[in-house]
Amino acid sequence: MSVMRLGFVHIRVTDLEEARNHYSNTMGMKVVHEEPGKLWLKCWDEYDHHSLVLEEGGVGLVKLGYKVQTKDDLERYEKRAQQFGCTTGRVSAGENLTVGDGVAISVPSGHRVELYDEIEYVGTDTGALNPDPWPRDGRGIAAHWIDHALVAADDPGLLERFFTEALDFHVAERAITNISHPEVLGSWMACGESPHDIAVIKGPDAKLHHFAFHLEDWNAILRAGDIMSMDDVSVDIGPTRHGITRGTTIYFFDPSGNRNEVFAGLGYRTFPDFPTVNWTEDQLAKGIVYISRELNEAFTTVFT
Amino acid sequence: MTVLPDGVSVDAEDGETVLRALSRAGLRYRVGCRRGGCGICKVRLVLGEVAYERPIATTVLSDEERIEGICLSCRAIPITSIAIELQEGDRLRKVLGFAFPA
Ligand code: FES
Ligand SMILES: [Fe+2]
Repeated sequence: MSVMRLGFVHIRVTDLEEARNHYSNTMGMKVVHEEPGKLWLKCWDEYDHHSLVLEEGGVGLVKLGYKVQTKDDLERYEKRAQQFGCTTGRVSAGENLTVGDGVAISVPSGHRVELYDEIEYVGTDTGALNPDPWPRDGRGIAAHWIDHALVAADDPGLLERFFTEALDFHVAERAITNISHPEVLGSWMACGESPHDIAVIKGPDAKLHHFAFHLEDWNAILRAGDIMSMDDVSVDIGPTRHGITRGTTIYFFDPSGNRNEVFAGLGYRTFPDFPTVNWTEDQLAKGIVYISRELNEAFTTVFT
Repeated sequence: MTVLPDGVSVDAEDGETVLRALSRAGLRYRVGCRRGGCGICKVRLVLGEVAYERPIATTVLSDEERIEGICLSCRAIPITSIAIELQEGDRLRKVLGFAFPA
């Protein structure tokens, strides 16, 4: 079986209480566990124990957790990551709260990716028996789930090769210099049928560009923007639409400067035979912000 | 506070960051996250002193940079009159045409 989804994001924050306020009151996540200097949170529509770990001290990404279906998948991907030339290690059950045995991979861009197949099941806030479509006590933006992450890499083409060759992702869309000399500048890759579960753009190795929360639709994006203004959230870009993935979006920052996104609209489905869409560098601004076709400086310079 | 190379002077209120004081005056310059995470808003402190009320990651602003007088303008709060110099190639831009006499 292929990798199922982005299961958790583990980041650093400079101030845990400000981060708690942002992710719980503004984004609407629920704190499911806490220890000194560390918080675990989940969105209302997620059924696994947590999808976000916040650790106090610094900024940026600690690791990304991707969930696979079986122990065989763990072993197979561990082997293939090694064959690709990556350093791997074992993660024992409990090292990540309620998460079972796993495999840690230092991917070619220097990010730490962990694969796991077990985590405590807690259920969504609406339940799995005759559920309402959404919970009445949703807070703030009330994001459904963490959807994808975009990381930076000095060699995006190499990271694309890693995710496709070693982990069976397929490329939904790709940014290239030009058709005659197609150097990869960015790649949007899927493990399931959504447009992307991981993406990479050219930038400093081991850095995070953003991770994204799924919202229902364009109206929810506008409402999220209103809440960002009420809560004095630093907004980067949007609301607008991406040419790439066709999603609607706002980019913004958490109180430590880690970039978040709210993302709506499953623009299309990516079956394994999906024909990759290419964007050339001269049209890349349109690919990223379809409406204004102009990137702000921050988009390509701000990483944590 | 005075901003170089433009030589523009702006009043900051007590406890206000350099970024906020400049925004309030209708002025823009190069910033990123505005939340102390990315280091894009670094400026050189030429004169005076600033303080930080929030923790700043050393990966964003190193001790050496602090010693050299580099400060993170989205988090730095002037505690004396200060003069700062924008990064090379950056200039103040007026977003509210009526707000500030150039
Ligand atoms: S703008 Fe990101 S650190 Fe100041
Ligand atoms: Fe995104």
